[in-house]
Amino acid sequence: MGGQPLFLEPRLESRLRSLLNVPGLLHTLTEALGSPLNVVLPDQLADNLQQFRSVYGSHHLSGQVYFAHKANRSSALLRRLAATDAGVDVASLGELQHALGAGFTPGRITATGPKNPEFLWLAARTSVTVSLDTRGELEQLATLVRKHALPRTRILLRLSGFEASGVRVLSRRSRFGTDVGELEPLLEAVERHGDVADLVGVAYHLDTTSLTEKATALEGCLRVLEECRSRGLRPRAVDIGGGFGINYLADAGQWNRYTTQLTEAVLGTRPPLTYGGHGYGLRSEAGTLRGTLGLYPAHRPVAGARYLDELLAHPAASLGGRPLAAQLLEHLYDLHTEPGRALLDQCGLTLTRVLEVRDQETGGPLAVRLAAKAGDVALEEHGVLMDPVVLPRDPTGRTAAAGADTGREPVTVHLFGNLCLESDLITRRTVFLPRRPEPGDLLAFANTAGYCMDFHATRAQHQPVARKVAAWQEGDAWRWCLDDQYWPTTPVGGAQ
Amino acid sequence: MRYDSITEAIGNTPLVRIDPAVHGLRHIDLYAKLELLNPFGSVKDRAAWNMARPHLAAAAGEGGQVVELSSGNTAKALAVLAGMHGLTFKSVTNRMRIPEIKDLLLLLGAEIEELPGQSECLDPTVTDDPLTQFHRALSEPGSTFLHTDQYFNPRNTEAHFTGTGPEIVKDLDGRAPDWFIACVGTAGSSTGVARALREHDPAVRVAGLVAAKSDFIPGIRTIDEAHEVGLFDPGTYDTIEAVGADEAIEGMLTLNRRCGILAGPTGGAAYFGAVRQLRPIDEELAERDDEEGAERQSAVFIVCDRVESYLSYVRQRRPDLFGRPRRRNSPADLSDAEVRTAPAIGVADAQKWIATGEPLVVDLRSPYAYAALHIDGSVNIVDELFEELLHGGLPFSRSRPVLLACPVGEKSARHAALLTRMGHPDVRSLTGGVIAWRDAGAPLVRD
Repeated sequence: MGGQPLFLEPRLESRLRSLLNVPGLLHTLTEALGSPLNVVLPDQLADNLQQFRSVYGSHHLSGQVYFAHKANRSSALLRRLAATDAGVDVASLGELQHALGAGFTPGRITATGPKNPEFLWLAARTSVTVSLDTRGELEQLATLVRKHALPRTRILLRLSGFEASGVRVLSRRSRFGTDVGELEPLLEAVERHGDVADLVGVAYHLDTTSLTEKATALEGCLRVLEECRSRGLRPRAVDIGGGFGINYLADAGQWNRYTTQLTEAVLGTRPPLTYGGHGYGLRSEAGTLRGTLGLYPAHRPVAGARYLDELLAHPAASLGGRPLAAQLLEHLYDLHTEPGRALLDQCGLTLTRVLEVRDQETGGPLAVRLAAKAGDVALEEHGVLMDPVVLPRDPTGRTAAAGADTGREPVTVHLFGNLCLESDLITRRTVFLPRRPEPGDLLAFANTAGYCMDFHATRAQHQPVARKVAAWQEGDAWRWCLDDQYWPTTPVGGAQ
Repeated sequence: MRYDSITEAIGNTPLVRIDPAVHGLRHIDLYAKLELLNPFGSVKDRAAWNMARPHLAAAAGEGGQVVELSSGNTAKALAVLAGMHGLTFKSVTNRMRIPEIKDLLLLLGAEIEELPGQSECLDPTVTDDPLTQFHRALSEPGSTFLHTDQYFNPRNTEAHFTGTGPEIVKDLDGRAPDWFIACVGTAGSSTGVARALREHDPAVRVAGLVAAKSDFIPGIRTIDEAHEVGLFDPGTYDTIEAVGADEAIEGMLTLNRRCGILAGPTGGAAYFGAVRQLRPIDEELAERDDEEGAERQSAVFIVCDRVESYLSYVRQRRPDLFGRPRRRNSPADLSDAEVRTAPAIGVADAQKWIATGEPLVVDLRSPYAYAALHIDGSVNIVDELFEELLHGGLPFSRSRPVLLACPVGEKSARHAALLTRMGHPDVRSLTGGVIAWRDAGAPLVRD
């Protein structure tokens, strides 16, 4: 490959780092439960919640932090969260049942996303708040409530298509939510169904990393709420969704170096950095770079709670320029957020065993086959580039077959999955590892709890889907149990 | 100097020698090409005029619109030129991060479209990114857009090949400088000037400056972004170095304060990069001087635009530069103890007091929030304005009791403490603020 190794080391905070420092336990776990194996850290979730709460506190805002359930289907994480004061936003019948079963009372649950009748019925039946995407959904809900004599349901209106004044901020069209241009008939419907639906506020979720777009939407919501109040409705909350992001990488310099080298690889001025010369959306046209880099901004200095803080400090240009937080506070509105990925920062990892290490060509990348498929570690699917941590099976010395002098120098590898598919690459990127891995070693993909752990995992092809364990610390020792067996009482009671 | 049109004032900018006492180079004469003195304020006036000029008359006849992907100076120049020719101008960008420039463009009648941020949930199949849509719209049959296409248009480079470059040679008495240092934005000025200078003297060395990847310097691209520019050819530059935002601001301050050149951060980056590039050369020349006698070299950098548009950019990074003297009667002067012990009153007592004591109720929230819901009979003086009023003294009579209300009772406590210190005998802060008032079920009105 030439040049210095282009590592993309994961950012490891103390809890995750501490777990990775116990490779013996992680090897024992994968020996017992198979590879791949997901480990979740419930206590970290509670810590992350506190970070969000402190942002609310510093702006004097009240309201709820709703964990976006779809980001991880773990019971342990959900039950740990149920033991805090957080809420959960559920996007399916199954998730709603899971949340109720984990101990969330209806007042702490919001039902969002596309809904089928069963989902809508159980939501209304149990009095959870329903975030409605369209007028049609409101009509459907109203019919259900009347027909089945259900209690009056608290609703949020999810909106989209906000327009900024002065500067037109282009936004990707969303297929979710009602365009604010259609507000009038929507509010008329709300008034018409006032006997069965109680408007508690409005919501938006924009799929973007841009603060300005989100600020525009939040300002738009404030204007809509004012319109609601002028009609005599009594809304009191804005739900701004999530999308606050995770900073995955430890080192900005590594990320900057890597992306520059990737650019040069695409332009052909250095050897490829990916399997088959894949450009992650970039291409070269007559020596000029075209296309857009389709990667998650893996090094993001402003992510998670800090992102929320910056958004709230953003001035509301069309409302006199005071910060959005001040606007919310002065208008006496609650702020609801739905962070999924950001709340799961540092909350888990995926362990995979090395099955085979094969030399392909002299000096070229090694082919490393793992006992996992791409869907089990869906970093690639989300465009997150991050190195796995190598956990040698035999940390004291290398096996005889490997020889004395191999396994000490950095190597380049391609990580293949265990499916019989050419496309089953754990990552299309050529990965630099600090040393040559050996069969039996574990590759630990850190920080996969948010979307990357089980969102894309399936049972197709009869390959095992990762088991999941919950791990926590008691004193200096790491304890664990199967995900399904974790309850917030487990750590003190001791399941083992 | 008499002109028939402002466009005739484009170009022929001064070349000013930087005092060696400022940069400390003993064997190199360093010159600044003052592009900030172009009529619309920047080096981009040349390119904008050269690119638009041949098409403006035709476009005006068709009632068209000039469009460009620009975050600043090119947009500014094109907006003026379009307006002068009866056209409208639209800038499409994802890089416009300087609020003053945005406002100035709106003032000049420009339409601005901001491209959306990166997707948080990656969709590798997405095909309708706004930039693609932009180019699709431009190429639709029958469209009347005049797209100046600054990143690919050879007339951008040409403006500097025929203008900026030869002007430098002329002002150096027919000699090309030994060094030319330029920031890389569209690469138009650096490429055009470099070509003109090298045609005169192939030995001219050209240093390109890019922004450090983690930093943002207006008008300069990072090395990756430079590759997206059609006019950018790495072969133009003998070296390409990165400059950080702090360095750019330092350079800018030197030009502003010590040279009287009101350059913006881009010019600052060019000055900083130039001195950093030339210092080791100067030391070599000094050593040779001792052995073989004097040899002088010359170097030129470009000052792209002016400082005034970047005040918020600088304030964000260097708040220390904006320290102002403290004013009297400021809430910032209060001790924590004073705020803690500020006279306050709970919601129930406040309701009674309003009924009997007729205090003046001052709501410190924004007018929008006040208009939505407020305590009946209250007046609205937004806290920023209230603070401003207090610098001049008490804004109401000592004989009238005052109840201050804010969202949670924090700001009102500070102001109650301050008013007490200023000698008001009966001022109180509403404990828990308007939120406590609402939560207690006390009435709020809109009127």
